[in-house]
Amino acid sequence: MVISHALGARIKRREDPRLITGRAIYVDDLNFAGMVHVAIVRSPHAHATIRSIDTTAARRAPGVVAVWTGEDVKARCGPLPVGPRIKEMKAPKRFPLVIDGVVRHVGDPVAAVVATTMDAARDASDLVEVDYEPLPSVQDPEAALEPGAPILHQDLGTNVCFRMTYGGGNVEEAFAGADVVVKTRIVQQRLIPAAMETRGVVAQYKGGELTVWTSTQIPHVVKTTLAETVRLPEHEIHVIAPEVGGGFGSKLDVYGEEGLVAALALALGRPVKWIESRRENFIATIHGRGQIDYVELAAHHDGTVAGLRVRAIADLGAYSQLLTPGVPTNTGLMCCGCYRIPNAHAEVIGVFTNRTPTDAYRGAGRPEATFLIERAMDLLAAELKMDPVEVRRKNFIPPAAFPYKTPTGAVYDSGNYERALDKALERADYRALRDEQAKLRKQGRYLGIGIATYVEITGLGAVAGLSGGNWESATVRVEPTGKVTVLTGTSPHGQGEETTFAQIVSDRLGVPVEDVVVLHGDTRAVPHGVGTFGSRTTPVGGSAVYVAAEKVKDKAVQIAAHLLEAAPADISTDGARFTVRGSPERSVEFKDVARMAYKAYKLPAGMEPGLDVTHFFVPKERVFPFGTHLCVVEVDPDTGEVTFRRYIAVDDCGNILNPLLVAGQIHGGIVQGLAQAIYEGVTYDDEGQLLTGTFAEYVVPQATDVPAFELDHTVTPSPHNPLGAKGVGEAGTIGATPAVVNAILDALAPFGVKDLQMPITPRRVWEALEGNSASR
Amino acid sequence: MHVLLPRTLEEALEMKASAPPAVPIAGGTDLMVELNFDRTRPQAIMEISRLPELNVWRRENGTFSLGAGVPYSRIVRDLTEFRPLVEASRTVGSPQIRNRGTVGGNLGTSSPAGDALPVLAAYDAEVVLAKAGGKIRRLPFAQFMTGPKKNALAPDELILGTRWKVVRGPGSFSKIGTRNAMVIALASLCLVLDEDGRSVRVALGSVGPTILRAPDAESFAARAMETAGVWRDPFGPLPTRVIEEFGERVAAAAKPIDDVRGTAAYRRHACAVLAQRALRWALDDRKLTGAR
Repeated sequence: MVISHALGARIKRREDPRLITGRAIYVDDLNFAGMVHVAIVRSPHAHATIRSIDTTAARRAPGVVAVWTGEDVKARCGPLPVGPRIKEMKAPKRFPLVIDGVVRHVGDPVAAVVATTMDAARDASDLVEVDYEPLPSVQDPEAALEPGAPILHQDLGTNVCFRMTYGGGNVEEAFAGADVVVKTRIVQQRLIPAAMETRGVVAQYKGGELTVWTSTQIPHVVKTTLAETVRLPEHEIHVIAPEVGGGFGSKLDVYGEEGLVAALALALGRPVKWIESRRENFIATIHGRGQIDYVELAAHHDGTVAGLRVRAIADLGAYSQLLTPGVPTNTGLMCCGCYRIPNAHAEVIGVFTNRTPTDAYRGAGRPEATFLIERAMDLLAAELKMDPVEVRRKNFIPPAAFPYKTPTGAVYDSGNYERALDKALERADYRALRDEQAKLRKQGRYLGIGIATYVEITGLGAVAGLSGGNWESATVRVEPTGKVTVLTGTSPHGQGEETTFAQIVSDRLGVPVEDVVVLHGDTRAVPHGVGTFGSRTTPVGGSAVYVAAEKVKDKAVQIAAHLLEAAPADISTDGARFTVRGSPERSVEFKDVARMAYKAYKLPAGMEPGLDVTHFFVPKERVFPFGTHLCVVEVDPDTGEVTFRRYIAVDDCGNILNPLLVAGQIHGGIVQGLAQAIYEGVTYDDEGQLLTGTFAEYVVPQATDVPAFELDHTVTPSPHNPLGAKGVGEAGTIGATPAVVNAILDALAPFGVKDLQMPITPRRVWEALEGNSASR
Repeated sequence: MHVLLPRTLEEALEMKASAPPAVPIAGGTDLMVELNFDRTRPQAIMEISRLPELNVWRRENGTFSLGAGVPYSRIVRDLTEFRPLVEASRTVGSPQIRNRGTVGGNLGTSSPAGDALPVLAAYDAEVVLAKAGGKIRRLPFAQFMTGPKKNALAPDELILGTRWKVVRGPGSFSKIGTRNAMVIALASLCLVLDEDGRSVRVALGSVGPTILRAPDAESFAARAMETAGVWRDPFGPLPTRVIEEFGERVAAAAKPIDDVRGTAAYRRHACAVLAQRALRWALDDRKLTGAR
């Protein structure tokens, strides 16, 4: 494709003026006459039987309209979706409130109190008396696998949700014949997605239509699911994702509260609102990561990797949410990274524990995969006393090998891993950094240089847990005045596609970006859609826009040719005007073609009126962005504090539609990735109580905590979509965590420290240096 | 809930006398968190941020008085002569929090993690309390703060401010947290040298039920500086071993606990590191200023 002035341009986000001036409308901004508010009573126990629920006092409290328990939900709601249908997977049903009398994590919803104000609802919710009989609970996923462990779901008879294996070649033989084997155990701690806007739902049943406003990444999936959950014909349901203040995967779900609030609106005949408090967000919205990975890498003396063995135990939490099993299975699929590893085997086990459910969180299984292979490569380099760069170089899949099928079954579309690595090394002046490191060590200062070369998978969607497939829809509608309306089935919530999709249309049709408006997140406005997740919006949703715009252009050319009495092949266009080649005086303006398309008295024979095309784009294959992140840190051996010195990211997301937006995605992604490395981590006590229950304990980095980022790119277009684009929403997160951890461990190499548990806090560094591992 | 809106200090003290449970609110940076999380539901709150008497500072006879209502951002901007106080104030919250938060609030809350408190302890500050009828009490800081979130403030009193004898000499405030800013300290330390009294003062935050002084370490350092002649000659060498032992003695004064943010062992270690660094900075500063 040709990148025009519009595509690839550094255009500022058109979304931002309304966001930064406070004019955007979020769920909590909606208020309707007669609206009532919901507060949810949640379990304080990790595992308990509900002996009884006494709602008498709550019902009598001022302003209370209704109090629901599981009984009410059982009578009115069907189950919620429980994830992809993996073979022999055992997934329990889940409902908007607990209906079987057993709570399985702190935060499990037990009752709902509805009142005329939010304060009244919250006050009355304290009056709901729930008599619990605590049961033994299991917190650790490995403990949950042990015989005799408390079973969460008695009807399943096991805590194992699924087992999946990936791999090919002969791993046993590879290990037997290898010169060295390095092993590690990695704990991918749980993370809290911490979107700036918590979840929220407003529902109203009026005039035979149920309208649900919800802070979601997937309004169309919510609509289809709600039809089954609240038992209403789908065409009577209208779901709107208004402005959504971040998701990072935590809103890629159909949550119980969406069904609950909708069912309440139907039953009460009043508008109903529920806004999640920040405290609830920590226990009732999904967590990310939560995986224990046993990794073994076999290699020859020269650094050539012979085999990889991975056993991943995924902490699913108490239930399987919409895509829960799809996360650790991504780890199995992607664990070979950028390397040609002939023999690989990965076993992925999903385990229920008495904790908040986990599900997709920025990267969703690929950060875990990248981390384990990138750590293993550094361990191998240390074992062989090789430079980590050289070990990687030795094992890269070479450019000529694409498309390349890994033994775990992924088919990488395109790549040039060494080019990205070289660019990062050059930018960093790697040799000089190593010299500086050696010099500083003599002064008792500890510089660390960490490298992560990643490949990841984007353009996901074909998951059985979703009502949609791996496609995305787009409508490009040229209005009779020549202005353009784009409808996209993706649901951007901060990614900026109102800007980039307008650029695509501008590029194809030649109209100015200002003449294009992009609508999304409303199931009445946009007939079909899957949503925004898995870095799919641009490669899949953007490609749908691209093809629809192309089809519009073809039709416009035909109309113009007819009006100019020329053959379509003889028409040239600059977008604003169609001209007969060789006869510049014979031309017609784009807006006149648009008008004629609707006036329709002078169209080519057999042509339908209108200038409006809907296209469902189905990608042939998934696409695999890649890159190299290089991080330089200094570790203070007295306090254990880590200071960032430099951060260089060379990312390849294929063709770049807008460099400003790509940089924004990479910046945010890196911050979330380095946060996992040194700041963020969920801690529970042995009873399943969340110890990191507020932002005072759960440490999210701020502007002063992150380095300046030096960004660069290589461009390896994907052959699988017309934009040649690969998603970039998660790449930063995927590259950053191993780059930072590798840097810290590189700094600590003189002390013989080989592994540290994330988040690598000053305390953990100091303990490792003291040889004092009293850490949890 | 009643909201009391006194216009003068006198009015405020009378209101407090007739409604002792009323909780004063100035910046609200602590109290509003408590209210939002429903940890406290006072019958009444009294808005004191506009009381002119609390928003002033004053120097007289070598003593400095700081009104309870002076926000941290003004301290950072205007009170640069008190370097440890400025450094502590700068680490309080975000710019917005510093525009609202006050030293009076730190005193009222009496959290061991209150950033300004180690500075007041190291300054040997007094806390000035008032009640209706013009009755004033002045309590040494150590007698004012009695435990975690506990102090000697009587129900009918308000905190007017704090005052301390200005001493000549370098000093610093430093802390270790889990990130750079807007964080509850794992350990904080204020060190002040008194050139005229030839004494060293150290106070520790976040490592005990109250702000802790380290008297043993203080007299050890002062004596060692005397022995080495460093008080007279700032360029005189102080043995490295002295600085290390000073750190160890400071750490020994800490009474830390394990919690979700950090372990007792790490906190104690952090005290030693902060103490050694603070002493080195102070000694270096004396070389620059010639201990004047």
